[in-house]
Amino acid sequence: MAVFELFSKMNPYMWFATEALAICFAGCCYHFFKLLDYGKPKDLSKPIGQINPAVKYAFTRAMDPRKKESAFLHLPTYIAGIIYHLGTFLSFALFVMIWLNFAPSGWLRYAISSFLLVSALNGTGILIKRIINKNLRSLSNPDDYLSNFLVTTFHFVGAFTLINSRLFPVYFVTVGILLLYLPVGKLKHTIYFFAARYQLGVFYGRRGVWPPKKEEF
Amino acid sequence: MEKISKEKIRKGLEVLDEGMDGKLFTHLNSCVHCGLCAESCIYFLAFHESKFIPAAKVDLISSVYRKYMTLTGKIIPGLVGARKLDKKTIGEMTDLFFGACTMCGRCVPHCSIGVDISYLVRKGREMLAKMGYVPEGLQNTINTALNSGNNMGITEKDFTDTLSWLEDDLRFEVNDDTACIPLNVKDRNILYTLNPREPKFFPLSISAMAKIFHTAGESWTLSTRMYDATNYAYYSSNHPEAGIITQRLFDEIQNLGAKTCVLAECGHGSRAFRWEGPNYIKQEYPFEVITSVELLANYLREGKIKVDREKIGDCVTLHDPCNLARTGGVWKEQRYILSRCVNNFVEMSPKGTDNLCCGGGGGQLAMSEYNERRIKIGALKAEQIRKTGAKIVVTPCHNCVDQLTQLNITYKLGVQIKTVAEIVADSIVAPEQKVISKNEVEV
Repeated sequence: MAVFELFSKMNPYMWFATEALAICFAGCCYHFFKLLDYGKPKDLSKPIGQINPAVKYAFTRAMDPRKKESAFLHLPTYIAGIIYHLGTFLSFALFVMIWLNFAPSGWLRYAISSFLLVSALNGTGILIKRIINKNLRSLSNPDDYLSNFLVTTFHFVGAFTLINSRLFPVYFVTVGILLLYLPVGKLKHTIYFFAARYQLGVFYGRRGVWPPKKEEF
Repeated sequence: MEKISKEKIRKGLEVLDEGMDGKLFTHLNSCVHCGLCAESCIYFLAFHESKFIPAAKVDLISSVYRKYMTLTGKIIPGLVGARKLDKKTIGEMTDLFFGACTMCGRCVPHCSIGVDISYLVRKGREMLAKMGYVPEGLQNTINTALNSGNNMGITEKDFTDTLSWLEDDLRFEVNDDTACIPLNVKDRNILYTLNPREPKFFPLSISAMAKIFHTAGESWTLSTRMYDATNYAYYSSNHPEAGIITQRLFDEIQNLGAKTCVLAECGHGSRAFRWEGPNYIKQEYPFEVITSVELLANYLREGKIKVDREKIGDCVTLHDPCNLARTGGVWKEQRYILSRCVNNFVEMSPKGTDNLCCGGGGGQLAMSEYNERRIKIGALKAEQIRKTGAKIVVTPCHNCVDQLTQLNITYKLGVQIKTVAEIVADSIVAPEQKVISKNEVEV
């Protein structure tokens, strides 16, 4: 009944975002089930290590920035990336809250807005880096720029909408476009990231590489 | 390059179509082009060219995948950077997958997502192999192995002659007339394999292992029919050819009834036979497979051989072969061995599973068209070695030995390059009494 009430109160912008959410969910399910359908490759070699601890390691200590050159050699970019991703998670949480009519108020509204503004600026920095850095530019295709632009806009609009409720229509349209694009472009790494870490854990686990053995001599 | 036929394109795309599984699908869809993998690649570090960034190599195969296997790539290829598999793309694939990647896998654990970049490069090589674009030198090495039974084309007579004089040397060295190098003896504990470079260029490493086996009182044999631990078809990713080579060794182990196959000090050979081999021949092994490094570490742990670390006075460092350490999990054993056999051991930095590739992997030593690149990327390893101040560089891989030997000359390092077996043999202490005959082992 509560859900029915929620839907009955929705304006056309919310409807657009809601339909986009449903399409996004369906798209993500398509990727997920296709992944499952392809199945794990059969490996007939005799393992010398264990898979489960290695998978756990892949998602935990192997992600330690002290262990990854991609992190410790690029600390400003790494930190910007982390803030940007936290901002994205927060933006989606905010969308759910707004959709359920539990928009934050008081100091929390300003805190979330401030964080989203910071994460949006980090996203902008990453986008600028992609444009001006020769190596990064050579790796990039329009999807890379568009994906960053959509997510960064999502953060910006979320931050401003919390302060100025007149922006809600813009907010829902922004969210809707992002959700429609998510399963199509590189943003689908939302799903494949987890699969890639799992696959790495399986690979290194079987071969006794992860988790690393302790030196004892 | 001649015009590419539709049939060739179809064969290349088969790898991404019929060969698709969850692992390939995952890694083809995971790269976000962050470019943070650049500094983990020796080619990028040596040349600072964006085409050498691992993500660029990933994108080369992923862009082809997107073009033919995704809706977006088919409808709006420009948006997602989807590429046709045409003459230009194939040219770039050949240059980057064969000529600018040793498949060392160092970029993989450093990737911010976890894309198995070297796996995708192998898949790219597989596409090229199916289309017939394996560099000539590499394919010649494979053909030699397929036609003669070993990648150096050594005849059985030459091989047995070499072993015969090595056996004489062994008897002299251990002062035991019954010492021998057993050939084609059935039902031994161990069938020992070799890198064919050993009988051809480095017979002392065979002597070293023979001396160790003699001292340990091991029940072992060599085969004169199939002793080649290498499998260059692993490098070309031609699975049918890799399967033929694997099957031969498998059959010989079965034929001789050996309980364990001990793989010579050969990084790619150990990977190709131990880890990829069962999948090439689609059969689990009914015997054990270990590397000689693990065997030597076991001998020392079990006290089957005694060593005196005072015998080697020079400072020693260790180069970890990528296929043995990073993707084979064998990095602790060689350190244990060196901790027992040498007094002054110093590590390189980075080391172990994070070690830099020497530049000789991925079949680079067999592809003369990329020699200049190979030597240039080796400068990083040369610098690593120089910083240790070591006089001896130990490495459990004959490909690495070859590359390091060339780096030693080019960059005037003034070091000796040795295998682990040679270090153990140099530091070994003669047992009080051990008697070995051709067919019997008594301790």
